[in-house]
Amino acid sequence: MKTLRVVYAIARADFLERVRRYSYLVTLLFAVYLGYAAGTGQISLRLGNYRGLYTSAWIGAMVSLVTTTFVSLVGFYIVKNAVDRDRQTGVGEILAATPLSKASYLLGKFLSNFAVLLSMVVVLAIAAVAIQLLAAEDRTFHSQPLLLPFLFLTLPAIAITAAIALLFETFSFLRGGLGNVVWFFLWSFGIALPAMTEIPQLDPSGLWLVSQSMVSAARAGIPGYNGGFSLTIGRLIPVQLATGFHWDGVEWTGEVLLLHLAWIAVAFALVLCGTIFFDRFDPAISRRKLGAPSRPTGDAAPSGAALDPATSRPHVATPISLTPLAPEALYSGAGHLLMAESRLALKGYRWWWYAVAGGLLIAQLAAPLEVSCGPLLAVAWVWPIFVWSALGTRETRFGVEQLLFSCARILPRQLPAAWLVGVLVAALTGLGAAVRLALAGRSAGLFAWAAGVLFIPSLALALGVWSGTSKFFEGLYIALWYVGPLHRVPGFDFTGSANGPQTTHFALMYLCIAVALVAAAFFRRARQLRGT
Amino acid sequence: MKLEIENVSKTYRGNTEALRSFRLELRPGVLGLLGPNGAGKSTLMRILATITQPSAGRVLWNGTDIRQDPDALRTVLGYLPQDFGIYSNLSALEFLGYLAAVKGLDAASANRRISELLELVNLADASRRPLGGFSGGMRQRMGIAQALLNDRKLLIVDEPTAGLDPEERVRFRNLLSELSGERIVILSTHIVSDVEAVATDIALIVEGELVVHGVPEALLAGVNGRVWEVVVPSTELAALRQRHLISNTAHRSDGVHARVVSDAAPGPGARSLEPSLEDAYLAALATHRNGAHRLAAV
Repeated sequence: MKTLRVVYAIARADFLERVRRYSYLVTLLFAVYLGYAAGTGQISLRLGNYRGLYTSAWIGAMVSLVTTTFVSLVGFYIVKNAVDRDRQTGVGEILAATPLSKASYLLGKFLSNFAVLLSMVVVLAIAAVAIQLLAAEDRTFHSQPLLLPFLFLTLPAIAITAAIALLFETFSFLRGGLGNVVWFFLWSFGIALPAMTEIPQLDPSGLWLVSQSMVSAARAGIPGYNGGFSLTIGRLIPVQLATGFHWDGVEWTGEVLLLHLAWIAVAFALVLCGTIFFDRFDPAISRRKLGAPSRPTGDAAPSGAALDPATSRPHVATPISLTPLAPEALYSGAGHLLMAESRLALKGYRWWWYAVAGGLLIAQLAAPLEVSCGPLLAVAWVWPIFVWSALGTRETRFGVEQLLFSCARILPRQLPAAWLVGVLVAALTGLGAAVRLALAGRSAGLFAWAAGVLFIPSLALALGVWSGTSKFFEGLYIALWYVGPLHRVPGFDFTGSANGPQTTHFALMYLCIAVALVAAAFFRRARQLRGT
Repeated sequence: MKLEIENVSKTYRGNTEALRSFRLELRPGVLGLLGPNGAGKSTLMRILATITQPSAGRVLWNGTDIRQDPDALRTVLGYLPQDFGIYSNLSALEFLGYLAAVKGLDAASANRRISELLELVNLADASRRPLGGFSGGMRQRMGIAQALLNDRKLLIVDEPTAGLDPEERVRFRNLLSELSGERIVILSTHIVSDVEAVATDIALIVEGELVVHGVPEALLAGVNGRVWEVVVPSTELAALRQRHLISNTAHRSDGVHARVVSDAAPGPGARSLEPSLEDAYLAALATHRNGAHRLAAV
């Protein structure tokens, strides 16, 4: 009983801390937008080129799958800060000094994660009801087919998301940006896995379950249906209503229920797994696992240990005097600041990071042009993702805003210098492809490359300055990189290599977006400097 | 050189008033800013450091409104916030080098200044170690060093001696005295002895209002002849506290020696004492809280 009260207290405090933040409102607005997109057909469930009548069953399945898919992807980035917040605020160390067990703490945090995602699900479930009323294709309202998919498919899926987000926070190497990137690939793999293996037990999202039910009904009820099931974003391909086709929803047999509700048990198991790896806010463990920052030779101080002040004190008292600065000492050229920002941006990367970047650069110069500008440039432009994701967020992350923002000319000097470092990193890591494009006389390709060089750090800077956290850029950039440069979807490929005859057109688009993003970053930072 | 704070108010969300029509004019010297927790000291510091905008009123640096032209002040400002972070992967040298570049110092001047500062704050031997491994006191000394990077005309230090050992605290006090010659130094702290040691002016702020502003001697004169030592059995201490303002107690073999601030002798055998700044501070605070009268200017 006492344990339950502790778990509840942890969950409640964490949930209240989250919902009282401005960012929570943005989270709910995102859920409202998803509902709007589903209601207006911007996101739709398709059976080939057909869709079913908007009955309670169809809308329930469609909106619950939209919820499961998008809330599980984006929701991870929203809730993956429950432990980190305690680490950053210092609350963690206070909790660590109490008899609180790891399991109680993690269970409380898991429930808070789950509650935040659940609030998004509730918004979307209400949206599902609204869609049926507003679409009015079928005026008969059946609550069970409409809402049961949320209960049996969406809730287990968000429980898994909430648990994995927490589990990642317990691993020192997945706590930061790497975890954000890994999640995107894990999520993609998890969505595709049941279709690849045709094993219903590997379907936490319920996508496979619904697709099997709909496809078999469509084969029987839609003449000319040749298969196909998709959850589609956009309205580029026209869809037609399958008249006369009626789908009653998923048949909730005991086996199906057991299969999906079992994922909730898996979620709890993952949380308990986290207790093995959770460091309980012991900084010594975190630092040892992360590896000590590189230090000059001859320094014998132990990594991460607080240094003994006595060892740093000279035996003879030093005189208190400072040489006055010459008037011309102030306002050195931009190069000095650019160097300082470069050192800051690249500090902490080990030799092998540079070796891989260098290897990719050489490979771009040596490989055939299409490979150089395609897959090699794509990999080269995802490798420095954490250099870019720190843009605009480093000040908040390390709490140095007050020191920086009280300096003169921050807006015209420091912010451009930080952005320029991001541009230089993009240019240098992709230099091989640029050289190849120039030698081949591909001016459009070179223009697209330059637009990409400007676009990436601009996106990072804008998202960083506005959100104060790196994870939004990491999540969005990886998704964009996955769709564009990796899967070569025209328009999404900011490297320009997959955009064919429209290369210049899309390059111009990315250039304009970059300008807008930089302007947005400056606007926000100017407000921060004014203290508003 | 003049810093004028003209009727500055600050209201946070939820209608919390942190500052109310605060007025003060500062010239070179060390201003000790005293006040209880939540009095509005840090809010005032952040406004003066151009981090926060006042809700009303204005701050003038040599006649220039810092809201209109914050860089006029920022170029000559050294600021040590109460809470600040550091880049934990950088060494002391690298971190100060970075901030020097941000502040616009050229490389040669920055290198010389950083080297002097690291000596000054006793971190020369630790200058190449990552800041992530620094103790609280060492981090605080890093904060002091960064505040002195440029040739500041206005130095704002908020709780600068928090976490410092006694030796370092004394060094820092001496440093502040040394620096105060042709500069305005604002020192905000709870530690009255720090203010006593270096302040040429004292301002007492309570509930966002300026209660007292004047030189330490005048503040002390206000409690002259009102500080007493009385010896009571420990069982009577609680009753004494009910009747009088007690600024200090010490248990001895003959009973508790209580330091009492009172207009009249607190009891038979009470002995008059030389007042300290702490007595004056507590007396002013009590006077304000009791609402008997307010000392607009001592």
